[in-house]
Amino acid sequence: MSTSIVRAQGVSKWYGNVIGLNNFNIDIGKGITGIVGPNGSGKSTFFKLIIGTIKANVGELAVLGGGPWRNPNQLKDIGFCPDYENLPMDLSGRDYLRLVGGLHGMRGPVLERRASEVLSIVGMTSTSNRRMGGYSKGMKQRMRIAGSFVHDPKLLLLDEPLTGTDPVVRKELMDMIKALNRDLGHDVIVSSHVLYEVERMTHEVALIYKGRTVASGNISEIRGLMSNHPHHIILEGENMTNLAKSLIDRPFTVSVELRQDRRSLTVEVLRPDEFFDSMPDLIRETGCQIESMRSLDDDLESVFRYLAGW
Amino acid sequence: MLTFSTRKLLLNRRWVLVALVSVLVAAVMGYVATQEIDPLDGGSFLLNTLVLSFLLPIMALVYGASMIRNEIDDRSITQVITSPMDRRMSYLGYYLALIVVLSLMLLVIGTVGWSSFYLVMGLEKGALDLLASYSLLLIIGSVVYSSLFLAMGVVLKQPIYLGLLYAFVWEAFVGSLPGAIGELTIIHNLKVIGSDLIDHGNITEVTGDPVTASLALAILTIGLLILGAFAFREKEVP
Repeated sequence: MSTSIVRAQGVSKWYGNVIGLNNFNIDIGKGITGIVGPNGSGKSTFFKLIIGTIKANVGELAVLGGGPWRNPNQLKDIGFCPDYENLPMDLSGRDYLRLVGGLHGMRGPVLERRASEVLSIVGMTSTSNRRMGGYSKGMKQRMRIAGSFVHDPKLLLLDEPLTGTDPVVRKELMDMIKALNRDLGHDVIVSSHVLYEVERMTHEVALIYKGRTVASGNISEIRGLMSNHPHHIILEGENMTNLAKSLIDRPFTVSVELRQDRRSLTVEVLRPDEFFDSMPDLIRETGCQIESMRSLDDDLESVFRYLAGW
Repeated sequence: MLTFSTRKLLLNRRWVLVALVSVLVAAVMGYVATQEIDPLDGGSFLLNTLVLSFLLPIMALVYGASMIRNEIDDRSITQVITSPMDRRMSYLGYYLALIVVLSLMLLVIGTVGWSSFYLVMGLEKGALDLLASYSLLLIIGSVVYSSLFLAMGVVLKQPIYLGLLYAFVWEAFVGSLPGAIGELTIIHNLKVIGSDLIDHGNITEVTGDPVTASLALAILTIGLLILGAFAFREKEVP
């Protein structure tokens, strides 16, 4: 990464007994950075700390070189699109941008010009005079994003901007977010609980889980970490005893547990890719007949648990 | 900020409540006007009892306590607190919008009641002065009560309960007690100022120094504004 735009060192934030972030460390550079984590992992807390609506209990947080808490001047350079409904539904899309622009000190023809420009970027020009209460979910999401960059900030924070949208809208939003960086030069931090979505927008990713960063860097490195995490795989079928014996000799196998009925076994493997690659040979050699095979650790949650060391 | 908040308050559905209250006040004042009472004493009594002593604190509570609190709860406050405006200035914007809207509504209600009363009773000499004096008191009252209830909405999660307790127990009950304790209420000090402006009705029974009362209300308002603005700046909005 190049110059750091957000740096957190040992940041913790708790709400009563609930921990939002726990000794959180991250260094985010320019460009688009994806923050990926399951629900409740601390993504929104991190964004709220950056935008200064909450303050860290401990730790150091620097955003564009300054501290975000009680620093309204810095908000000229940051745009925030929250993951919750906050649009004034009785206003039209254009009036909403006038409102947000006005709060950022824009007035008169400058504001009018900018509102039209932003509406055009998010593809909402034709519907901009309608009340937002009548907008579809995708249109509202576009307006939320529009409101976040109407004042032309350096840094854009987009908290779960794709949630709840259909695949077509999702693709359009992903293209738009990429364009905001590529064509308009905004640095973007975008969060999601779906790695695949983030991967479509950027190669710089940080995985967070239970308030901590568990991995960060290039997506290919993270993919490597993920594919190397141990899997527990359950196999069911005939002649499983032979298969169990063969599996024990394989270098990727950690343990094999054969059930009493001899029809199913659970194998723990270090490198799942190697295991799956070797399965055709194993079946041929042992003469077993596999009826079903499933991994207990194929979801993102288990990857996070592994990376967090839990 | 001021325009947006004013517009938001004015477009709120609570206008229906204001309309109903206006009709009620007009009906009560119209009915009383049919009785054999002194026109100026009766008009003053009704404006004091119905609008100044009752509706002013209640409406200030309903609008003031919920103004920022509702925005925090429904998170529509995000636009304001993520703008590069000092939060203390934003707070001042809310406060001014609240005063404008609250004063406007109370003036509408007061004028509707007054019109109803003197429409039945016949316009008396001095009735217009009465309306002007009560209008001034309602504006001063809006300025003071708004500072109190707006601050309450920032500091407390459920400001309406403490606000109701304050309005009914402290302002209404304690404020009506004789002696020094009653002087510690906002309504007493408003009435002291009113007794200097108005020569009719039960408001003239309140005694005190209007300059001291004005000063006390000014100090209270400024103190509460500073407290509210400081609390708003320090407020975490998760």
